[in-house]
Amino acid sequence: MWTYISRRLIQALFILLIITGVCFLLTHYSADPMSQYANKQGMTAADRAAIAHSLGLDQPLPVQYVKWLWLALHGNLGNSFFSRQPVLTLIRQRLPLTLILMVTAEIFIIIISLILGTVSAVKQYSAIDNIITSFSFIGYSMPIFFIAFAGIQIFAVQFKAWGLPYLPTGADIWNPKNLGALIRHLVLPVSCLVIIQVAGYSRFLRSSILEVLGLDYVRTARAKGLSERTMLLKHALRNAALPFITIIGLDIPFLLGGALVTESIFAWPGMGRLFWEYAQRGDFPVVNGVLLLTGSAVVFFTIIVDVLYTFVDPRIRLS
Amino acid sequence: MKRSMYLLVSMIVLASMLLAGCGPAVTVAPATAVPPVVVPTQPVAGCAAATGTAAIPFPSGGKTVTVAFSQEPDLLSGLFSSMSFAQWITQGILVGLGTWDANNNFIPELAVEVPSAANGGVSADGLTITWHLKPCLYWSDGEPLTSADVKFTWQVETDPGNAVYSRAGYDQIASIDTPDDTTAVLHFSKLYPGWQTLFTSGPNNQGSIQPMHLLQGKTGLETDPFTHWPTISSGPFVITDWVAGDHLTMLPNPNYWKGHPKLDQIQIKFVPDPETAKAALKTGDVDFVPDFAESDLADLPALEPAIHTRVDAGPEFEHYLFNLGTKGTGVGQSDYDGFCPFKDVKVRKAIILGIDRQTIVDTLLFGKTTVPASLWPNSYWYNTNLTPYPYDPEQAKTLLESAGYTAGADGIRHGMCNGVDTKLSFNFETTTKQLRIDMAVAVQVMLQQIGVEFKPIHTPSGTFFGNYASGADMATGNFDMAGYTTGFYPDPYTDGFLCSTVISKQNQGGDNNYHICDPALDTLAQAVNASADPAVRKTAIDQIQQYMYDNALVIPIYARANVMAYTDRFILPPTSVISGMMGDMFDWDVK
Repeated sequence: MWTYISRRLIQALFILLIITGVCFLLTHYSADPMSQYANKQGMTAADRAAIAHSLGLDQPLPVQYVKWLWLALHGNLGNSFFSRQPVLTLIRQRLPLTLILMVTAEIFIIIISLILGTVSAVKQYSAIDNIITSFSFIGYSMPIFFIAFAGIQIFAVQFKAWGLPYLPTGADIWNPKNLGALIRHLVLPVSCLVIIQVAGYSRFLRSSILEVLGLDYVRTARAKGLSERTMLLKHALRNAALPFITIIGLDIPFLLGGALVTESIFAWPGMGRLFWEYAQRGDFPVVNGVLLLTGSAVVFFTIIVDVLYTFVDPRIRLS
Repeated sequence: MKRSMYLLVSMIVLASMLLAGCGPAVTVAPATAVPPVVVPTQPVAGCAAATGTAAIPFPSGGKTVTVAFSQEPDLLSGLFSSMSFAQWITQGILVGLGTWDANNNFIPELAVEVPSAANGGVSADGLTITWHLKPCLYWSDGEPLTSADVKFTWQVETDPGNAVYSRAGYDQIASIDTPDDTTAVLHFSKLYPGWQTLFTSGPNNQGSIQPMHLLQGKTGLETDPFTHWPTISSGPFVITDWVAGDHLTMLPNPNYWKGHPKLDQIQIKFVPDPETAKAALKTGDVDFVPDFAESDLADLPALEPAIHTRVDAGPEFEHYLFNLGTKGTGVGQSDYDGFCPFKDVKVRKAIILGIDRQTIVDTLLFGKTTVPASLWPNSYWYNTNLTPYPYDPEQAKTLLESAGYTAGADGIRHGMCNGVDTKLSFNFETTTKQLRIDMAVAVQVMLQQIGVEFKPIHTPSGTFFGNYASGADMATGNFDMAGYTTGFYPDPYTDGFLCSTVISKQNQGGDNNYHICDPALDTLAQAVNASADPAVRKTAIDQIQQYMYDNALVIPIYARANVMAYTDRFILPPTSVISGMMGDMFDWDVK
């Protein structure tokens, strides 16, 4: 086991090295940070050259990459080209609220998907299965911005107009340290994320459970006289959960990256907005810093998921 | 064996990375940590002591407004940021010696009066400008604000260790004398007609005065914490709180020379989505949104009477420009030839006549702005004698016929240009902004009707506005026609019409995007910089516009508009085109 983990970790370093190189090239060619200074009247060529020099943009690309990598190896992701702040500071400022939003949503997504997926599978082709299936398709087919704006219009704008207690649009000034305010501001964005994600997850789990329910060992378990509940929870669900765990495991790293559309619509100061706002301006250090963080998370959570498999499924042995 | 080799190589790489991690780090140079020279707080001679040393706390029941910005500023310094949102905020915290009022008159701010020849502030040769500061000025921390701060600001601007946004003009100052605390005498090494943009609060707020007592002895100020978040103020407000990505809070400066602003607090919330901002206006979560796009005019008026919309003429205008470059390596030549038919004034004029700009304004911009005849609309510098070319497709067709371009089988005209049969089919490059996409579609249809094929190409602004080194088409001259917004900021910039500024491999830092080298235009552009007298310059600038109009060198599409919306409780006074919608925070109020 430990040999396996060590080998995977070493592989991970290679993968991260490749990821950083590719991301560096992609971000470099996606936007020119100096374009922010184009057509700024009053700026001379010398002014632009001085700024490019101060940002290190006058150096060859490989040199820029090696310098960035060297800094990264020392735990320093460099400074933003525009805010001039350390990238780690920018990430530290945004990460907590991103995690609050995304982890809360993920918890609800998992719980609701498990319930809906299981009920839908066990009650296959029943009225409740049809209802869940219908709503799943509706949720799955709706773009998140539509749900988000509909939520704001109904629960913020109209509820206020009707004199009812209403939810905030997200554009108000509030203190995240106030638990009540935090919960009020979480309701709409979390609901949007949950509606979109639950639809797919519950359908996935339903298929997975239905597949397992048709296998021989389930029939054997029933023949042994196990109750439906025991058979479902101890035998069927445990096996059906394997691919579900894989998906969740792969999702977790992306929680760090935030949810761009949701964060933008609800003015949530998270990682998605940080990435997008700086990517638009060609701020490579910030973009690469966020990509390195999420890339590292993907690589390491993949290893964790693989290791977790051995606990969930005794048939799997790591070597 | 293979496995062992694999492990060995992996271990070597891992060890190298770990060792690298243990070695000395290359650090991003911070601002040099030279201790600032701390001047003890004391009143200026003959003045009462400062009113306070910190922002005035928000009182219970005080007056507050929340403003929504679609973007968060990167750093709050007009000297180091090119971002409009940053510059708007700094207009409330770090001001200059002069500013522009709602009628776009140049007025004093920290100065007693605007220098002029009449008051002795501008020397006869225009090389010496004398500013007199108001007496008894203080920073918000209680330190005196004096002419030494003005001189220090110049030193910051010209220090090669500081990556300032622009040194233009500051690098023309040979020295600054400060005979007393309220007098700063600027000695220019050569004539700088745009001196009013220096040390003043224009739209870039690039001339905001910097506090010597906090920053003296430092260099690399672009990374200094003060540059990111100025903790003291010379304007009506002080920034007391900034939650990254979310909002910032401004409270009154106790020492502002005008006194206490009408509001007790301004909070600026970063709301990226305009639809959310509209919803927030409806719920009252936000009082004022100063930066809606023109396309939002489609539904904003429907929010009346609870939400008011205001459209102010902006200092900028959208224009289409012809690439008039000539391939070569000499001064005024480009890496590429422009589209050959554009060299013919009849073709250029026909294209202008073939675009129904008024319909574009009436439909896509809801008639809320105007079609300018020339450059720099809504400003003192605009040539009001000119009237926009009308939409006249018949005259356009006649001009194209007389230029030798006749319709082909596909309806697109072609004719001989430099001995080559050339089809009137060209690319138009611009950004991916939705309004530009819509507009290009309309223009495409209009020009098709006169037998001209207009092919839009939309690229992200980060690529479109790239510099020569990045290979951007507009900078390298590898385009036929381009469209974007430009302005006057607040002094018209005419160097971009000089032959010496045509961008090429030999002149990569140039900014002549037209790639035009026309001796007559060159002479006119040089005349603008030959005098510091605004009246003389106005004549020269009018002549440039007349020449460009007569020769159809540019297609001004529409004057950009500042689209604002605010709740009924918010009182928004008139604002200056030059200083922008945030320039009058002192007078903001609520009912």
